[in-house]
Amino acid sequence: MLVQALKKLGQTLVVLVLVSIATFGLLKLAPGDPVQIMLGAEYSQDSYESMTRELGLDQPFLVQYADWALNFVQGDWGTSYIARTDIFTYGFKEALPVTLTLAFFSLSFAILIGVPLGVLSAVKKDTVFDAGAAVFALTGTAFPSFLLGILLIWFFGVKLQLFPVMGYVSPWEDLRLGIYHMILPGLTLSTYFIAMITRLTRATLIEVLDEPYIAAARARGEPNWRVIWVHGVRNIAMPLVTILGLQLGTLIQGTVLTETVFNLPGIGQMLTSAVLGRDYQVVQAGVMMTAFLFIGVNLLVDLSYPILDPRLRDRK
Amino acid sequence: MTDIDHKKILTERVSARLGRRAVLKGMGAGIVAATAAGGFPAIARAQQSGHLRIASIKVIDTLDPHFTGFLPAIQVINNIHNGLLKIVYDGEALTFEPDLAETWELEDDKTHVFKLREGVKFHDGTPCDAEAVKFSLLRVKEGEPASPHAWKLELLEEIEIIDPLNLKLHFSQPYAFLPVALNGSTGRAGTIVSPAAVEKYGTDYGRNPVGTGPFKFVSWRENDAIELEANTEYFEPEMPKLERVTFLLMNEASTAIAALFSGQIDGMNDCPMQLVDQVAANPNTQIFGEIEGNYTFLGMNCKDGPFTDINLRRAVAWALDRETLVKQAYFGRAQQAYTPISPPMTDFFDPDIATSGRGQWFDLDKAREFRAMAENQDEIEVTYMMAERGPVGTRTAQTIVPMLAQIGIKVNLELVEPATWLKRRNEGSFDLYDFEWVADLDPDEAIYPEFKSDGAWNFCGWVNTEFDDLCAQAQVVLDPEERRKLYYAAEDLLMDEAPIGVMAHMPIYKVFSNKVEGFQYIPADLMNLHSVSIT
Amino acid sequence: MTAKAAPASATVPPAGPIPDVTPRGKRSMFLRRPFFTVALIVAVGYILAAIFAPWVAPYDPVAQSMDAMMQPPTGAHPLGTDSYGQDILSRVIFGARYALIIGFFSVLIGAAGGLVIGLAAGLSGGWLEWALMRLIDAILALPSLILAVAFIAILGQGVDKVVIAVGLSMIGPFSRTVQADVMQVRVQGFVEAAHLMSIPSWQVVWRHVLPNVIFPLAVQVTIRISEAILVSSSLSFLGIGVTPPTPDWGLMIAEGRDFVSFAPWMSAMPGFALALLLIALSIVGDGIREEFDPKGRRGS
Repeated sequence: MLVQALKKLGQTLVVLVLVSIATFGLLKLAPGDPVQIMLGAEYSQDSYESMTRELGLDQPFLVQYADWALNFVQGDWGTSYIARTDIFTYGFKEALPVTLTLAFFSLSFAILIGVPLGVLSAVKKDTVFDAGAAVFALTGTAFPSFLLGILLIWFFGVKLQLFPVMGYVSPWEDLRLGIYHMILPGLTLSTYFIAMITRLTRATLIEVLDEPYIAAARARGEPNWRVIWVHGVRNIAMPLVTILGLQLGTLIQGTVLTETVFNLPGIGQMLTSAVLGRDYQVVQAGVMMTAFLFIGVNLLVDLSYPILDPRLRDRK
Repeated sequence: MTDIDHKKILTERVSARLGRRAVLKGMGAGIVAATAAGGFPAIARAQQSGHLRIASIKVIDTLDPHFTGFLPAIQVINNIHNGLLKIVYDGEALTFEPDLAETWELEDDKTHVFKLREGVKFHDGTPCDAEAVKFSLLRVKEGEPASPHAWKLELLEEIEIIDPLNLKLHFSQPYAFLPVALNGSTGRAGTIVSPAAVEKYGTDYGRNPVGTGPFKFVSWRENDAIELEANTEYFEPEMPKLERVTFLLMNEASTAIAALFSGQIDGMNDCPMQLVDQVAANPNTQIFGEIEGNYTFLGMNCKDGPFTDINLRRAVAWALDRETLVKQAYFGRAQQAYTPISPPMTDFFDPDIATSGRGQWFDLDKAREFRAMAENQDEIEVTYMMAERGPVGTRTAQTIVPMLAQIGIKVNLELVEPATWLKRRNEGSFDLYDFEWVADLDPDEAIYPEFKSDGAWNFCGWVNTEFDDLCAQAQVVLDPEERRKLYYAAEDLLMDEAPIGVMAHMPIYKVFSNKVEGFQYIPADLMNLHSVSIT
Repeated sequence: MTAKAAPASATVPPAGPIPDVTPRGKRSMFLRRPFFTVALIVAVGYILAAIFAPWVAPYDPVAQSMDAMMQPPTGAHPLGTDSYGQDILSRVIFGARYALIIGFFSVLIGAAGGLVIGLAAGLSGGWLEWALMRLIDAILALPSLILAVAFIAILGQGVDKVVIAVGLSMIGPFSRTVQADVMQVRVQGFVEAAHLMSIPSWQVVWRHVLPNVIFPLAVQVTIRISEAILVSSSLSFLGIGVTPPTPDWGLMIAEGRDFVSFAPWMSAMPGFALALLLIALSIVGDGIREEFDPKGRRGS
């Protein structure tokens, strides 16, 4: 197991290198450059050339990449071209916690709503409740999150004045205010996962309830709620974790839009504004962080496959 | 030495230029109360109190006044720094007055003499003296990396320090444009920064700005907020009134509006035209805005492609239905433009321009006549490059398409990303594009750098040396009457040869909740919070 | 923990080609699944609307009218007009075209790319497999929206570019699905056995691997069509997708967002059109999967 983990770690590094090269290459292929953007309306050739030199953007592609990679490995993430911000502070200390908080809240909402909904659907399979829950869950996935976010803002934020419409407050600094600010964005982002979890829970539980040991439990005379919530639901946990791991990319992608609508200073906004602003080093840092998260979670999922399916245990 | 009082001429010219524009009518009593007073109930020198939260829409690139190219950045910079001169608006006319300077005189038409205020200190405690002024001006003029605003001080020959509080600026020619150069457009060439801070932070100064202004820079969290706190040692009496100011950096104007309505923020630095109706309908907000010094235009590529044909360009210029554009693209808020000189430049703007016969306007018959003279009489396909940028995004482009179809020009709209748009504009790789030059205070910055043959901003690639000569002459003439004639002649050339079809002059809006008092509106897209308080 | 609890995409289909699928009577299926039937009718309705848009739509979708800007739904304009005076109903109908085109073709690109890379990764051994797996990991590690933004930045914009960008950004997840399914087949020993019996490998792929891979892939396709449509509308929201004034739903929603408080129909109408299509597609997809899934027949 340990050897395998180390092997996976090695693979992870290879993947990260691939990702960083791909990102750098893709961005360099895109027309436009940061200095032009920086100069805005006040474009002047002199200034353009002198600032390009200053930022080292006149260097060949490989030199720029190597510079970045060497510094990055040593923990120096660089400085953003346009606003001259320290990328480590910006990305790791400021943006990452925002995105993680948002992800945490939306996943919590999704599990708190999705699992009970799925369990009830499975138990009341093929009833009106089941159908209703399915439609409810589907509606959540079908609305573009940005439209949903805007509607929530206007209804709960402006009309009812129940929740703040934008901004981020760290839950570590002020728990109540932090949660308060996360409710609308958390809900917006969670709809997709509510649907997924509901469906997965329902499907898995229906299968599980067919298993002999459930029949055995029932035969032992255990009460129905115990059979379902203890024996049944316990078996949903693993596939749920697996699929959520695989869906982490979708989650991060969802944060891009949610963060824009609710003006949260997270990785999603950092990445979009940096891609559009051609701030190569910021994009790199953002991509490295998301890639690391993604690979990390998937590594765990991969390692859990043999646990899930004993037949896979002998391969390799 | 002459007997002419240059300062007087300059001041007269400048003060006459920006006349009072009617404040938006029917916007509720809030504005009248706020602007008519000009001042505010006199509060004895009180402790600073209150925390103002303002949404700052769109880009803030850097807080370094000598390098920024974006107006939202200037709005913050102006609260941290002071200039040699400042723009003052009394609700009637716009003038340039000494700011860090105590007095500003013209010794002769090439020499400006400044006496600085005594005892002014930067936020880092270092004195703001003649040396600091010299340092800042030279940083703009010849610093490395080169400031994009260097051209504004090109004629500055020498900075002579007489003593720590007195200095003279010697110019190689009479320079009527100086007050505008120091304060104008999207940079603040005349803004004074702390030499010690520049020394300390180098190119990172834009993240650690140190000025003499009413507010000190505290922090800047990317995509989140810029925090300022009161400078308790600010040199103007009874200012600032606020203890803290937060500029919330936002991309989504619609979210900002929602935040304003729900009381989460107290104001917005920009209210896009399509949102004005909503804000006006809300009883808890006040709105400031007038037609400012700007013009929007449809640019045509004079170097390459179908629009090298002057008659085709003229046909386009006359085929633009400005009334529809104003209504549809600018939500009825803008004002039809006949030439680039905008209403706030009262010395040069002709209030009767509509009937004067000068400029461009919508005349389909005339457009068809020109179209008939064009070399290519078949349907012409052109590419219109657009991006989700500027005050109204792609609205202008979408509105123009059917207008050009009427004169046998098939427009293919091409949406590009803002970064690509900039690159292609700068390279001149387009047939059509639309753009706006904003926050102009003088024709010299409104048309000369934009259309000078081979000028850096002349993206249409229009060449006319007669235009260049006229503008160059106007730069050194101090007499307003004579200057106006020169600019009219230059404009007539520009409008006739039509590298652009001029479209509209836009209003720029600032919005506050009713809790905010004492905001002094200046029609140059400024957000000076010196006198603002919050209840 | 049981093997049955594996995620849906990694289910274990039985080996060998899928036997002739004889659903238990088409009529009965429609009767047994009323939701499916309704959803199918809705989906077919959208497809018909898309095909016959020029005949169905009351107005030209890009005809501007200055006199009819931002009108609420009326008799003349059942869904109202937008800020250019364009008829929203007509735009919604034409929008079905773009939504279906973007959804279908981008998923086609993604699925085709995913099939090739996934098969190659799953079947090749050794060094190549390892490299391809890492490549898939790398593509997956980039959020697909960000990837699509980057592709758009390179390719330019417009419907065709959006199709390519969204399609390319979907190759990663598809490869992963295919590769996982191939692995499942491999575990069952066919490929090794076939090799031992010196059956040509293309035949093994054709007869044993592909049938087991295609079905889950088809299921993925139905799910991801919705995702593709959503991603394209997200791009429009970020201002870099389909070129206005193309009657694209995402674009219409994005344009109307500034007017939500007093002209909500501008965003809401295309939003509902989009939601309804996605719900219908999803129910149809589920129905087909449940009806034809080999695993579903296990009990019968």
